[in-house]
Amino acid sequence: MNAYGLLWGLLLALLSTAAQAQNDTPPQSGIWIPNPGADLWKAVRQRGQPEPSTTQVQGLDSNQLINVAGEKFRDWRRERFIRYAAYLLAGVPVVILLFHMLHGAMKLEPSGRKLLRFDLYDRVAHWLLATVFLFLAFTGLLLLFGRFVIVPWLGLDAFSPIASASKEGHNLFGPLFLVALLWVFLRFVARNLPAWRDIVWLLKGGGAFGGKHPSAGFFNGGEKLWFWSLAVFGLLLSLSGLLLDFPSYAPSRELLVLALVVHGAAAVILVAFSFGHIYMGTAGVEGTLEGMRDGTVDANWARQHHDQWYAEMVREGRLEALSEAQENRAETTTGQLEEGRT
Amino acid sequence: MARLKFYCDAERCIECNGCITACKNENDVPWGVNRRRVVTIKDGEQGERSLSVACMHCSDAPCAAVCPVDCFYTTEDGLVLHDKDICIGCGYCFYACPFGAPQFPQDGAFASRGKMDKCTFCAGGPEENGSSAEYKKYGRNRLAEGKLPLCAEMCATKALLAGDANVLADIYRERVIYRASSSLRRGVDLQKQNLGGNPGAGS
Amino acid sequence: MTVAELVDGPLWTVALTVFVAGVAWRLLVLIATGWKRDLSHPRSGSLGGAIRGVVGRFLPSQGMAGRLRLHLVAGYLFHLGLFALLFFAAPHVDFYRDRLFGFDWTPLPHWAFILAAEAAFLGLLMLWLNRVLNPVTRLISESGDHAASVLTFLVMLTGCLALARSHETLRLLHFFVVELFMIYFPFSRLMHSFTFLLSRAAQGAHYGRRGVRV
Repeated sequence: MNAYGLLWGLLLALLSTAAQAQNDTPPQSGIWIPNPGADLWKAVRQRGQPEPSTTQVQGLDSNQLINVAGEKFRDWRRERFIRYAAYLLAGVPVVILLFHMLHGAMKLEPSGRKLLRFDLYDRVAHWLLATVFLFLAFTGLLLLFGRFVIVPWLGLDAFSPIASASKEGHNLFGPLFLVALLWVFLRFVARNLPAWRDIVWLLKGGGAFGGKHPSAGFFNGGEKLWFWSLAVFGLLLSLSGLLLDFPSYAPSRELLVLALVVHGAAAVILVAFSFGHIYMGTAGVEGTLEGMRDGTVDANWARQHHDQWYAEMVREGRLEALSEAQENRAETTTGQLEEGRT
Repeated sequence: MARLKFYCDAERCIECNGCITACKNENDVPWGVNRRRVVTIKDGEQGERSLSVACMHCSDAPCAAVCPVDCFYTTEDGLVLHDKDICIGCGYCFYACPFGAPQFPQDGAFASRGKMDKCTFCAGGPEENGSSAEYKKYGRNRLAEGKLPLCAEMCATKALLAGDANVLADIYRERVIYRASSSLRRGVDLQKQNLGGNPGAGS
Repeated sequence: MTVAELVDGPLWTVALTVFVAGVAWRLLVLIATGWKRDLSHPRSGSLGGAIRGVVGRFLPSQGMAGRLRLHLVAGYLFHLGLFALLFFAAPHVDFYRDRLFGFDWTPLPHWAFILAAEAAFLGLLMLWLNRVLNPVTRLISESGDHAASVLTFLVMLTGCLALARSHETLRLLHFFVVELFMIYFPFSRLMHSFTFLLSRAAQGAHYGRRGVRV
């Protein structure tokens, strides 16, 4: 039998015969048998016009006999979301690894001259968001996949405290994500306004597949795409999360289910995106992590990846253009370094 | 084994809420938790009907499917029970349940709502049958004492029935047949009195 | 003896003893060391200076206000939040009644408890990130500073993870980290929660006697 069990099946059978009786054109002078059940079961299953229903019990949707959104939630979570989230979150690192093996890291020839890229507040805001994001991603993924990964391994009794800790930690750190997100947004939005060259940059794939490095300002097209994804999905994530933090204020279960769907989808997209961001910031592009750690980047790194920003910095006199001699020196030092390495 | 089910007859339920009182009293449920509730449709209008609803102990339970910690289990009698030591109070079961059965004892900020509580068909939980730990967490285990859920036992009009699904189906079939004959008679009466018992016929 | 019994029993006794005795000993030693006799002619009262030193330092001096904005905001968020958590969170008040004092006081409502926790976490994270990312504080920070920050964070984090108050494992984990914290406390930078009064008062009194206004 289906989910509602044997008796609901029986009751449905009654409903269908009743509906059939109503659909057939009744004989003009025949005997009409009023079926008291037909309208009732229609109302119970929330078909057609909703009927007013009441109950003495106080609670969310307690006057609703059958919650239609429930089955949608089950179907979405068990049949789609967990599966596709697993594919995506396992697939992205594989793609990144393949890319790294084929393409290798983008090398930097250090010039020894530094440019200030991120000031202290930029860095504190970034790492605050990063810390909270990683914690939330970790606890959230534990809650999402734990039943299928940890339970078969450690058992139900061991996973329960882990899940409880994840849930409490996730609920408590959630609002901090919104605070950090707003801070990062306000600090970085001016440098992330889209420009035409960003679209060119994206179309050329950031120059990753050969060809000249496409032109970029302070942030390139890829970084801006990440910023705006973070802004949009992060906001959706925070707002749906806040609603889920206060379930007793939600007007209906439908809205809570919608919030769970939005929350899950936005979270998985951002986590998948963050893999790419972490790769580009660490192993993918030499010299990038330094910018977020110390605030300064090598002048050659800036010229290589953000030529227009570099030119602007030179114009403003933040860094005099490297003289030929200096360039030669930089090259020789790199040469020596490479010799020393081999 | 038997498949245990509830059945509520909408033609008999008089919305006395006796089942709720019986349940609360027998299981000593926390304040704010209602394992059973009576819903009235079209209250005060023609065609008013009431139904007493609790956990329907689904064969393929949505609550068990969405639970992130897998705290639900189905007994060999077909009852869907849960382990409160495993439950983390996330509330997913409440979102997935078609019948609004899962309840939460607290209502605080940050989803601090305590462990889920729901109808156990008066069958307790995973603890030892009849132990005080079981009573504290899940209420009375009447099934282990050879008794049926108190809500159904107390129902004055025998609208709410509990027991083996096959037996309930037989009782229900019998009731439907009697009702069919009585409503046939009612249709004849309406026509005789020329009360326009058939809305489809016009005039 | 199981790990649970150890954490709940003897280790707690040890931690409490080390904490109380250690703090008392360190404060006594500091006070017993005394001050060098100041032979200069007093220009102003040293008591007033001491009070000014203690109270006035709750806000940064005018010249530094801009540079210390982050310290000011994050510092107050963290310390006020932690103070509220430590003394007015309902589980802690229960603990003080059952295990320490035998009496209790009105705890914060749950929402205020959570709000205090949010503030404390935000403040601590910002302060610690600043410590690591600001070149100046990074250079002057030693392993002891990082240990104190990390240990405090772990105490708060394990407490946050045990918020549901439903799993004994999580409570014991929190309790264990708290015991480590209390044993470490008297011999570390964490002593600043007591000694800040002494140092501020001493410096304030010194300035007061010399007639220096800060």
